[in-house]
Amino acid sequence: MALLKTYDMTVRYGGLAANADVNLEVPEGKLVGLIGPNGAGKTTFIDAITGFTNVSSGRVEFDGHDLEGMTPDRRAHLGLVRTFQSLELFEDLTVRENLLVAAEKPTWWSFIVDLLRPPKTSAEHEARVAGALSVLGLDDIADRLPMDLSHGQRKLVGVARALAAKPKLLLLDEPAAGLDTTESQLLGQHLRTFLETGTTIFLIDHDMGLVLNVCDYIYVLDFGKIIAEGTPAQIRKDPAVIGAYLGQSAGEAQAKAGEALAARTAAAASDASEQAPDQGGDHV
Amino acid sequence: MSDIIFFLLAGMGLGSLYAMLGAGLVIVYRGSGVINFAQGAFAMYGVFTFDEARRNGYLRLPWFDFLPTYSLNVPVDIKLGDEGVSSPVAFVLAVAMAVMIGLMAHFLVFRPLRSAAPLGKVIGSLGVMLYLQGVAQNNFGGTGRQPEAITPDGVFDNFLGLGKAYPQGTFSAIVFAIVMGLVLWGVFQFTRFGLATRAASSNEKGAVLLGYSPQLLAALNWVIASVLATVAAIVLGPTGGSLTPVGLSALVVASLGAALIGRLQSILITVAGGLSIGAVQSLLVFWSSDDWFPNFLRSGARDVVPFVVIGVVLFLRGKKLPLRGTVEEKRLPLAPYPVRIKQHMVIWSAVVIVAAILFEGAGARSVFSLALVTSMIASILMLSMVVITGYVGQISLAQLSFAGVSAFVMARMMADGSTTISNPFPVSGPGLPWPIAALIGVITAIVVGIIVGLPAVRIRGVQLAVVTVAFAISLQSLYFENQSLTQLSAGAPASVKPASIFGIDLKSIGDKGLKDRPEFVIFVLVVLLGCIALVANLRRNGTGRRFLAVRANERAAAAAGINVSRQKLLAFGIAAGIAGVGGVMLGFNQGDVSSAGFVYQASLAYLAFAYLGGITSINGAVVGGLLAPAGFITVLSGYFLRDANIQDYTTIIGGMGMVVTAIQNPNGIAPTLQPLFQHLGRWLRTARGAEWGAAIKRLGPVFVLGVVIGYLIWPLRVDTYSKFWMPLYGGFLALFIRGIYKQARAGGHAPVPHGNTPTPVSAGAAPTPVEVG
Repeated sequence: MALLKTYDMTVRYGGLAANADVNLEVPEGKLVGLIGPNGAGKTTFIDAITGFTNVSSGRVEFDGHDLEGMTPDRRAHLGLVRTFQSLELFEDLTVRENLLVAAEKPTWWSFIVDLLRPPKTSAEHEARVAGALSVLGLDDIADRLPMDLSHGQRKLVGVARALAAKPKLLLLDEPAAGLDTTESQLLGQHLRTFLETGTTIFLIDHDMGLVLNVCDYIYVLDFGKIIAEGTPAQIRKDPAVIGAYLGQSAGEAQAKAGEALAARTAAAASDASEQAPDQGGDHV
Repeated sequence: MSDIIFFLLAGMGLGSLYAMLGAGLVIVYRGSGVINFAQGAFAMYGVFTFDEARRNGYLRLPWFDFLPTYSLNVPVDIKLGDEGVSSPVAFVLAVAMAVMIGLMAHFLVFRPLRSAAPLGKVIGSLGVMLYLQGVAQNNFGGTGRQPEAITPDGVFDNFLGLGKAYPQGTFSAIVFAIVMGLVLWGVFQFTRFGLATRAASSNEKGAVLLGYSPQLLAALNWVIASVLATVAAIVLGPTGGSLTPVGLSALVVASLGAALIGRLQSILITVAGGLSIGAVQSLLVFWSSDDWFPNFLRSGARDVVPFVVIGVVLFLRGKKLPLRGTVEEKRLPLAPYPVRIKQHMVIWSAVVIVAAILFEGAGARSVFSLALVTSMIASILMLSMVVITGYVGQISLAQLSFAGVSAFVMARMMADGSTTISNPFPVSGPGLPWPIAALIGVITAIVVGIIVGLPAVRIRGVQLAVVTVAFAISLQSLYFENQSLTQLSAGAPASVKPASIFGIDLKSIGDKGLKDRPEFVIFVLVVLLGCIALVANLRRNGTGRRFLAVRANERAAAAAGINVSRQKLLAFGIAAGIAGVGGVMLGFNQGDVSSAGFVYQASLAYLAFAYLGGITSINGAVVGGLLAPAGFITVLSGYFLRDANIQDYTTIIGGMGMVVTAIQNPNGIAPTLQPLFQHLGRWLRTARGAEWGAAIKRLGPVFVLGVVIGYLIWPLRVDTYSKFWMPLYGGFLALFIRGIYKQARAGGHAPVPHGNTPTPVSAGAAPTPVEVG
């Protein structure tokens, strides 16, 4: 069953169609990827799905709801949670508090309780935050402020925050951008773990190795249009993709890198130790 | 019809002043990205300089001699002659003064603030406004003056066939404004300087690459704006009647309306906007004597115009209003997680209660009781600013107005148609008991707060500051001074009956007429502690986290499922409620409420000290309260420095403090001092005999040095200091400075404790106990 489905969704900025007639489907429990060159309209797509930009025409359906006119926070409550490409953490809150903000679902009278009662968080929210922290290995930095963290850690906190909101569908906007090979691989493993806990994932990224390796199904966007879709194996060989997006030789190189990464990840996974694999591997 | 046209034309006289000040606002905004709340104050200082030189032959420089002594003096007054100087000379002097003020504003305040957060820039310009206002009150006196007009003082009989006499002065004012507007437009449109300014305004880096210095351009634009304000006030001001420092400074609000109509970009549209605002105001004043005009609007109609204009323009423009890109967007200081609230409450309650009992009937020292009360009430008001500005990042300049709403409503709910000594006019009312009356007052404040917060849904930061200050001014005449609503004749206070609980009388004034009753001090203390508990709970619970999330990043907050609009309205409501509680306590303390206590300048002064104390923390509100006008520190200093009239300088110090804090230490005092106190507290808990000895050995010389310096300075200050206090004060000051120095050397800025685990104080000072005076 499709959790998210778009019907001829179009987003126009003035005369420019950043997304044109996009028909896309994310089935429940799967990891679906969206790739495309810079300026292809990938972030616009996430913005439109999550209510940060207006859909010009077409329709978006999520979990049986028509999302038209719904504010971003309502969509988040439905379980449609995103991360940002730039690191938009709440700088004044510790990592744990960042996650709590997303985990808590306030009612209209929460503020009265909050004013009158000394600090207390519900066990359920604590557990969800603790779960998100531990699945991403962030326990040690839970009480630090975002500004004290490395770029990679901040990225992971962004993902953890989205995860703490208990999303039905997690939309990740270039989570691997700026990560090194090792961190990127670890992230790939994490994503597969999330799937096992019942979260559906929609992934946008530049890191072809990551996308080709972890996704169940991939859409390719160029100039706002879907130019190809299929399993990673199909995409790797799709002439339209190689021609329009990857370029002939670059495509092969990237595809090879993806295979190499897959092999390394498999090796790393079988190597039960938690130590990061060596970074010597050549990544194009 | 001819009446309408006549009054529209007549209003353009004052409108021309709005137009010119508005043009200055546009120029400054394009030149340096600052909305200059001090534009009216620039005009004020200029026209007073002109008048003072011509009238009394003195040039008064824009600063003050903080501690006038016999032998050490800062030059403030320059005597030009026994009689006043001629108009042209006075004009040249005023323009020179304007140039200097413009340059000072740029180089001392706004250049250092160029990469500050928008809040920092607003605070900077509000600080300049408060400073100039305070200095002017000191140098020129706070009373109104009527400078001689330099425009013709004849009248046109039957002007344009409208059948009424029209002052020639007003006519020349309009012509002047239009001509100046065209000249300025021409300068910015056709000269190389104008082109460069516009280029730098749209792309600063680009302008640098083309070889222009944005800072030089900004300085020039500041000078132009300052001179323009001065010239406009000299030429146009006298047509509006008597001038006061406060009244002239407040003109900036209507001028902001004009500048916003011109989108802070177009000088010509701004001039037209200013003239129109003046015209509409005049027409409303004309209409307000008609029968059909709603009664309750009669007195306030005129002041509502700028508020409505600003509100409508900003709301329609929404987020689209162009905000000039800053060099590097900086953020508000961190809002630390409050720790050890209970311990602090217990310790400080004990201190306050002991003090309250000691100061009762303690002769000259009984003033400290009232000072404590004033400080604690100020802290309550500042807590409301911590919530709205510190936690949610929305700048509200109307917090005292919410306090006023609550105090006035409470007074009215208590009223029962009888008269008292303080209030000879009978005011009808339901005569409710105090807890119910106070509750109704606070709830009204909350409702008003939420309504004022509505624009915040679409407007943020600096623009919200503009809306709220316009609201504060219009509420002043629409409610507090509105006889048809308050039933008080002009200036009369509404009486507030004292509270009592379980048979204990909680009135503020004791039997001897002094405000030193411990019962009342403790009452205020309990209310303050209640408010602190509310804010501390808020910060540590989910609502506080959501507030800070909104402050940090509205987009990310929405993505995390937070309804940003609701959080903002909630914050406005909570902050207005706390301010309302403060207003209620002000009412109990004074025994009555009057409009003078809730003017928008009061909001600015409180915001200044809240910012100085630390706008993002509860400790900051407490420190800010201690620093507040007529608060504990002021009164204490006044006690030591007997004849220095510290009270006269609080506005000026507040303004300077705002500017210095915005530039040097946006965190404010409390977070900076906190590690010092933590260190001291830890040392006092653990130190043993030998360590005390070592500490005395180490710190003794510093203390003695301070005492000696204090003793040596004392003869110079024989008129203001007592012989005993000055050396002692010097000794503790020396220890304090040493502590700050050590801390600064140990790790630059103090680490802000965060989370449940307090971070250890910077390591460099570890073996050395840092003493606090």
